[in-house]
Amino acid sequence: MGCKVVVTGLGIVSPVGSGQGEFFENLMAGRSGIRRVDMPHSEKLSIHIAGTVPDFDPTAHFTKMQLTSMERFSQMALVAARQAVQDAEMQLEEAERTRAGVMMGTGMGGAGTLEEGYLEVLAKGEPRVRPLSVVLGMNNAAASHISMEFGLRGPNITYSTACSSSAIAIGEAARQIRHGYADVMLAGGSEALLTVGVMKAWEALRTLALEDPAGPGASCKPFSRQRNGLVLGEGACVLVLENAERAAARGARIYAELAGYACASDASHISKPDAAGQARAIRAALADACMQPADIGYINAHGTATLVGDVQETRAIKEVFGSRAPNIPVSSTKSMHGHLMGATGAVEFMTSILAMHHKAVPPTINLNEPDPECDLDYVPNVGRHDVPLGAVMSNSFAFGGSNAVLIARRYTS
Amino acid sequence: MSSLETIQRMMSEQFDLKPETLAPDAQLETLGLDSLSVIEFMFNIEDEFKIKLPEQRIEIKTIQDISDVVDRMIAEQQGGA
Repeated sequence: MGCKVVVTGLGIVSPVGSGQGEFFENLMAGRSGIRRVDMPHSEKLSIHIAGTVPDFDPTAHFTKMQLTSMERFSQMALVAARQAVQDAEMQLEEAERTRAGVMMGTGMGGAGTLEEGYLEVLAKGEPRVRPLSVVLGMNNAAASHISMEFGLRGPNITYSTACSSSAIAIGEAARQIRHGYADVMLAGGSEALLTVGVMKAWEALRTLALEDPAGPGASCKPFSRQRNGLVLGEGACVLVLENAERAAARGARIYAELAGYACASDASHISKPDAAGQARAIRAALADACMQPADIGYINAHGTATLVGDVQETRAIKEVFGSRAPNIPVSSTKSMHGHLMGATGAVEFMTSILAMHHKAVPPTINLNEPDPECDLDYVPNVGRHDVPLGAVMSNSFAFGGSNAVLIARRYTS
Repeated sequence: MSSLETIQRMMSEQFDLKPETLAPDAQLETLGLDSLSVIEFMFNIEDEFKIKLPEQRIEIKTIQDISDVVDRMIAEQQGGA
């Protein structure tokens, strides 16, 4: 079995707030972080909404010197990591740093840097791009900045599996601890893909939600009959994972045990989600945690609000949880924070942990008329308090068929 | 006119450095500029002085070194204007 892995620190920069307190409070209140985007060339967009972090001010966190070599997805990742480390009240001794590492997920890494380079050369006809474009834009920049800031000399790995990137980063980081390669891991994801080029690409795929007449916040409608697509989002989320014995010995506050993780591939279609592959991932995660379906008290759904995705996920949950499926609260908090792609798995696993911690289940907002094919308890519109939870699950099902499932349970020594 | 003053001002603005620390013989490394920061700074130098720096690596250790390169390029590329 190996060592138990626990979660001792949480950090987040998201469209619905920065810091776990503000974040979870806004989720419980059903507040949306989906807004109209405004940036150079955004008049070229047909769909103008996204989960944005408008109040993120890099100069409040970094010197100009640091910002020279750090782009938005690294900045947000590092701020989330600082929050998580502070939350964990963790000091690493020099000798411990070689057994401490970082694993991050991202879908598009430095999308903004890449696009700026294209604009300079192809649109403006400039002969050169910014000299630091490579180190700003590379996908592993965020993880590397985290490793440098905290002196983490163990593994430093970045996963890029689209929507499941950060769920996989967290799961693989937990395995590092469980299998004895590391004692402490910072793990999560970061995404800053709200550029005109990236948004145009998603538009072209016809998977983006249209802006609702009632306003941007009403646009993302998972499991609803009126749903018409996902809303892109940006942000970062980092968790401190720790060997349970180490955490207990230093008297750390333990949010949860990371009890189970598994990934499974659909191996069927490059973008179409498949209930069979999803169900396999869920079953394997339960087996990894040595748990039964009946042990799970809340599921944070992948729930992107695409037509096919929500139905497939509902089927997968019903396949594994059987007759008990309708009794499990399943919510898609993407209805509020949007789809943070490479960061979304971390954000939603953290949401699940906070749900257990606060005995509170966040809602799926904008769910007034459920799709008949989506017939589970999606916690429509209003969050629930005083819900004791012993174990929670977070689903992440990616383009490319890469499915990952994480399970956390209440920690007992 | 030497480019030195302009370079000092640019460096102060770009990296939030106090002007009094930017003596001509100040070592860039001591000021906190690593090789990447210097490359990024030289990129802005090209814009400011409308010059093209040589493709090969230039040995630059102090602010005066930067100024010398810039003055030489101005002389070569703009006929000493």
